[in-house]
Amino acid sequence: MSIGGGSDAVAVATARMVRSFIDYARWPIRREPMTICVVGTPSHASRLDELTLIDGRRVAARAVTPASLAASGCDVAYFGRVDPAAMRQALIAVRGKGVLTVAENDPQCRSQAMFCLRQDRASLAFAVNIDAISRSGLRIDPRVLRIADGAST
Amino acid sequence: MTRRASPEGLPTLRQHLAQVHLRLILFAVTLAAASLLVSGVLVTRNYAQRNLDLIANTVGYTVEPAIVFGDPQAAREGIVSVADVSTVDRVELRDRAGKLFMEWSHPRAGLHSGLERMTNKLLWAKPSIHAVRHSGEIIGEVRVYGNSEGILRYALSGAIIALACLGLTVMATRILARRLQQEVIAPLSQLAEVSQSVRAERAFHRRLPPSGIAEIDQFGRDFNALLAEIEGWHQGLTSENAELARRATHDPLTGLGNRVLFEQTLAEAAAVSVRSGTSFAVVYLDADNFKQINDLHGHDGGDAALAAMAERLRTAIRQGDQAFRLGGDEFAVVVPALTSPDQVESVKSRIEQAMERPFLLPNGAYAVAELSAGIAVFPDDGKSPEALLRRADKEMYREKTRRRAASRGVSNA
Repeated sequence: MSIGGGSDAVAVATARMVRSFIDYARWPIRREPMTICVVGTPSHASRLDELTLIDGRRVAARAVTPASLAASGCDVAYFGRVDPAAMRQALIAVRGKGVLTVAENDPQCRSQAMFCLRQDRASLAFAVNIDAISRSGLRIDPRVLRIADGAST
Repeated sequence: MTRRASPEGLPTLRQHLAQVHLRLILFAVTLAAASLLVSGVLVTRNYAQRNLDLIANTVGYTVEPAIVFGDPQAAREGIVSVADVSTVDRVELRDRAGKLFMEWSHPRAGLHSGLERMTNKLLWAKPSIHAVRHSGEIIGEVRVYGNSEGILRYALSGAIIALACLGLTVMATRILARRLQQEVIAPLSQLAEVSQSVRAERAFHRRLPPSGIAEIDQFGRDFNALLAEIEGWHQGLTSENAELARRATHDPLTGLGNRVLFEQTLAEAAAVSVRSGTSFAVVYLDADNFKQINDLHGHDGGDAALAAMAERLRTAIRQGDQAFRLGGDEFAVVVPALTSPDQVESVKSRIEQAMERPFLLPNGAYAVAELSAGIAVFPDDGKSPEALLRRADKEMYREKTRRRAASRGVSNA
């Protein structure tokens, strides 16, 4: 996904990518509106609150602490800059509970986040953690996995 | 059987048949090959069209996330994973606004010829189009352009097979023509040969062999029957002619050659003698007492006497000598290839000896023929048949006179 011009171009691209993740994921229960919880200090999450899904559902974003994530009832968790230990604990806490997890700042995808953003100067890409996806309690369209960096092609 | 055209320049039956067969088979094979080829191309194109639709569909499904994520590279990989087959020439991916998102062409070597490009345009004028949907919403469009390489290959191999079939059938035509020649033309040429030899050599004994084909066999039997009839007529005519010829040159009473044959024989003998330098003799005979026998025993008696004389004459001469009745009571013998005058003298004495015995007449009486003979030898006594005859006649009269004088002397004594 290329990053366009403008001061918040990266934020726009990030929002589009997160929206695409949501589009290709299936929750056990369909909820409206969807809730994105932003954990820690994000760099490009400014546009997440304005998302509208392709089926017309709106998406609301709010900030939560890592400790309160599991109890916040979020559908999506977006991790900004956050203490790795706290992040791991939060991720383990939401495992199997139907929360789509995206890490903004983990290009190697070593945390247990399902999707990890990768950004270079011109484009935005992502990696996946297959183990995390399989334990997430969500159904992710396998075609998305093929698009991920490092996916076997 | 020659393959050449007949002397008149008309095509032979075999050429005719072979030509007709060839045309028929060429027509049939071309028709079959063309219809098979056309229907095959149409069916193949139909299947290829469905295949393209399927590929467009699959490409659409595969690249849908790539469009959503805005990842042309992933889209390209998706296209390659599905559309990298020989029936696809080009795949276009357009986004919702119709802008080209990704384009992929099948990598082909020099095989991508002008012919292929032309047939591509002809057969796949329109691409197979499939809309890419994401959650029911159209987010883009796939266009798959077909490639005619497979169809071209099919058409080419079909054409080659058709050509091979044509070659085979042309060969089969020749074999067929040869068989036809054996079954139809050979009997016909035999017929021509037989009728020609009948006409030229009067070979009426010739017959056509039986044929394996009913019509020709029937024809051959009719022809043979006709030949048998002609042969019968011809034989009758020949024997009649021979009888007529014999009658013309033979004396009916005695069966000896007549004067005509005698003159012919004499002329031939003279010619042979002149050519070969040999000699021959004529013995002229005359019955002295024929008139008396006739007067005494009637004409039947005279005829019987003449027949008896002829019979004795015939037995007395050697093989090769020829006896003739020249008319009335005159006879002649031609003695050919004389090596010494004694030979003819011995012939003469044997004749006289044969005549000494009396013969029985129809009325039961016996009579003795009294013959006077004169000899003339060619060429000593005459160089022409006429001169020879005159000399023999003279000799004969001299002897007749002498015999009369002798018999008178005996009766006087």
